[in-house]
Formats: sequence, structure tokens, C-alpha cells
Amino acid sequence: DRRRTGEALRAFHTAIRSSPGSSRSQAMKEQAQGTMLKVLTSFKSSEIEQAVNSLDRNGVDLLMKYIYKGFEKPTENSSAILLQWHEKALAVGGLGSIIRVLTARKTV
Amino acid sequence: MAYHSFLLEPISCHAWNKDRTQIALCPNNHEVHIYRKDGAKWSKVHELKEHNGQVTGIDWAPESNRLVTCGTDRNAYVWTLKGNVWKPTLVILRINRAARCVKWSPKENKFAVGSGSRLISICYFEQENDWWVCKHIKKPIRSTVLSLDWHPNNVLLAAGSCDFKCRIFSAYIKEVEERPSPTPWGSKMPFGELMFESSSSCGWVHSICFSASGSRVAWVSHDSTLCLADAGKKMAVASLCTETLPLLAVTFITENSLVAAGHDCCPMLFTYEESQGALTFGGKLDVPKQSSQRGLTARERFQNLDKKASSDTANATLDTLHKNSISQISVLTGGKDKCSQFCTTGMDGGMSIWDVKVRNPRGPLRLG
Repeated sequence: DRRRTGEALRAFHTAIRSSPGSSRSQAMKEQAQGTMLKVLTSFKSSEIEQAVNSLDRNGVDLLMKYIYKGFEKPTENSSAILLQWHEKALAVGGLGSIIRVLTARKTV
Repeated sequence: MAYHSFLLEPISCHAWNKDRTQIALCPNNHEVHIYRKDGAKWSKVHELKEHNGQVTGIDWAPESNRLVTCGTDRNAYVWTLKGNVWKPTLVILRINRAARCVKWSPKENKFAVGSGSRLISICYFEQENDWWVCKHIKKPIRSTVLSLDWHPNNVLLAAGSCDFKCRIFSAYIKEVEERPSPTPWGSKMPFGELMFESSSSCGWVHSICFSASGSRVAWVSHDSTLCLADAGKKMAVASLCTETLPLLAVTFITENSLVAAGHDCCPMLFTYEESQGALTFGGKLDVPKQSSQRGLTARERFQNLDKKASSDTANATLDTLHKNSISQISVLTGGKDKCSQFCTTGMDGGMSIWDVKVRNPRGPLRLG
């Protein structure tokens, strides 16, 4: 079970790291969104806080962008787990991280 | 700290006279009211009525005791005290949008006005014609100029704009001054020369400030960031993504420390670590008094859970001194290098004076 947690965490960091920063391709962005959503929903509630704490400031901002992207296109049950991610990310990133989702010129 | 509630509406802008006995402010209308300190009270002593639109900027020249005001009516006025009456002189800015900010230069022989016309008007007095004329700095500004600050050499001017950039221009006017000597920002300073331009942040630049020496400039943007450019490090920019709501005003209080405030309604301390080129958050300077928390009944808990999805007992009122966003900060005593007192005004119509105490010269700053 710890192995499963470790894999989820690794998948999470990989998804964060390989986020297409200044990609203009809508297809690439959507693929990254889909991957990130899959990773986020694969976490157990109890594991979320640890994952958020393992990120640096830029990572938290990026996570917050993906969370709101996930809210934009809700699937069955996705919002529930995203809200839990939101609560933990907000605790670390503060309202500033949400402001930066709203003001970002480069969206995820 | 001391808080005085002047109005029930926002204070649009304010400026202090030299000895800090009088404050000029715009009470969210077309006028400027001047209040004088009478012991513990403030009495209104003047009402300046000339603008046809909201007054968006006021600056009080400490040595020559002149006021300059600018407003949404696209005008600026220079006010001189004659006896006990403030007499206005119209300055034609040649802009077709609202003026948004105004600042006297350190030598008080020029002032700069930022406007929605996407340019800066540099105004100076022409002796032969006995009136104020202005020159424009336009390129490469692409949107409203929200804030201005002068370098101590009276020539360089920092401007924060809605096009997300902080820029430093030369506002050298050969009619009123000598050629400036080189600074860490550059040596050639013809009028309008762009000496520095930041890469885009993602937010309107609300406020900008030079350090006392002029070798650093800091600005706050609407994307909740604070940035600082250090000319001593080849204009390297340090930036900090804050956890707060956007900041609207910033000032240096020492060469390495800044106070900023904004939509979180309380001033915050930031420190610049020169060796690492990093900005860090130093804490909120407004420590709310702990309000007594009475227990919630089970019914109230359920209602909270139902309405707010949280059983948090935190109440909905603000614990900060200011009850609405702080829109302006001004240094009162000590200058920008050894500030011991600063003032904040905000959208709650209140004005607050804050004391800065330095425990030991190398220790952290504390608020009194």
C-alpha cells in the first residue's frame, strides 16, 4: 500500500514537472489536463496533504491552476476530490495562489 | 499605532505637509480637504474646490509648501498658499483620459502625472511665459500609468502601469536642471530614455517605490506579487508570490525592508536579502486582538456546516485596524532609509499611523 502511495506521489510530481508551460497546442494542454486529473483523483484523501507539502511555491501555483481547470470540466465525482485538493493547496498557497489563477496569462 | 476615522467613504488619496501637522485628502469627490492636527483631534481647515472630476492624486512639496493635485477631469492644479487661502493654477496636461497619479520631483521644480492616456506628463514652470508647460513620455507605455516615484537625482522616474510593467525613464528637463551624473541605472539620460523595463508580471502594477539611495526599485502587482529590481546587481529582479490578496501600496522603510498593504487591510513587512537576491515575507504588522470566542450551539454548528460547508467558528468581521482595503502608504518620519513612522489610508475612510521600532540595528523590525 505504501508502494501505491509512492507511485501516486511520483506520478504527481511527473505530471507537475512535465506541464506544458508555454505550449500553444490546445491538444497538448488537454492531454496534460486529463493526465493531471487522473493523477489527482487517484489519491486517497489522507495522502493529499503530504503531496501538497512536497511542492515548492511555483508547484503550488501550478497545482491550483489545474484544480480550477478540473472544476471547469467536471466529471462524475471529480469535484469532490478536487475540493479536497483545493482545501490543502489553499492552506499552503493562500489566497494569492487563487489570485494568480485568475490573473495568469499562460493558462494550463 | 493610532487610527482616525475621517470619513464613511474611501479616502481617494492623501498627502502630508512638511512637519506632519496637516493632511490633505480627497474624500471620494471632486474636492481636497485639508485637516490640521489640534492636540488629539483633527479639524478641517481648508476645502479646495476646483476639479470637475474625482481627485486621484495629491502631493505636497515639503520645502516650497505647494500642493499639486490631479483628477479624472484630465487636469492638474498647482496650489500656492496666499495668506490663508490656497490659490490654484491650472496646468494643461494635454491628455485625453483621466489623470491617475502625481508626484513632485525631489527638488520640487518638476512634477510628473500618470494618466489613462498611456503616457506620463512631466511638468515644469516656464519663467518667460509665467506658466506650467509639460512634455510627454509615451513610448513604450501601452496602458494606464497607475503609480510614479522619483529617483533622488531628480531625473529618473519609475512608473508602474496597467500593461503589467515597471519602467524607469529619464525625465531630464534641460530648461530647469544640469545634466545628471551617471547612476547604476545608466549614464545617458536624454528625456524619455527608457533605463529599465521589467519583464511582464501578470497584474497591473499598483504601486512603485525607489529606495532612499535610488539603486533599488520595488513594485506590487495585481497578481499578488512583490518585485524588486536591484541596479547594484545589474538590475536583477527578485520577486515574491505572496499568499495574500493583491497589494495596492508599497514603500521602502530601510534600504532592505519594505512595508506593503492592500486588499488584506493590513500592512505587511518584507525583507530583501541582497546576497541571495531574494524577497521574504516578514509578517503582518497588525496583530488583531483576540476576540472572545463564545461556544456555538449544535444548531449553529449545523447551520454553519449547511451554509458555509465549514464548522469554523471564526466570525465574519475583520480583526484588522482598517476595515477595508488600504490604498496608500506614506512615510512620515525617518525617510525611506530609516523610517520610524508611516501612515496608511484606505477605503474605509480611515487613516492610521504606525510606529516602526528597531530592536537592534541588525535585528528584525517590529511594530509599536
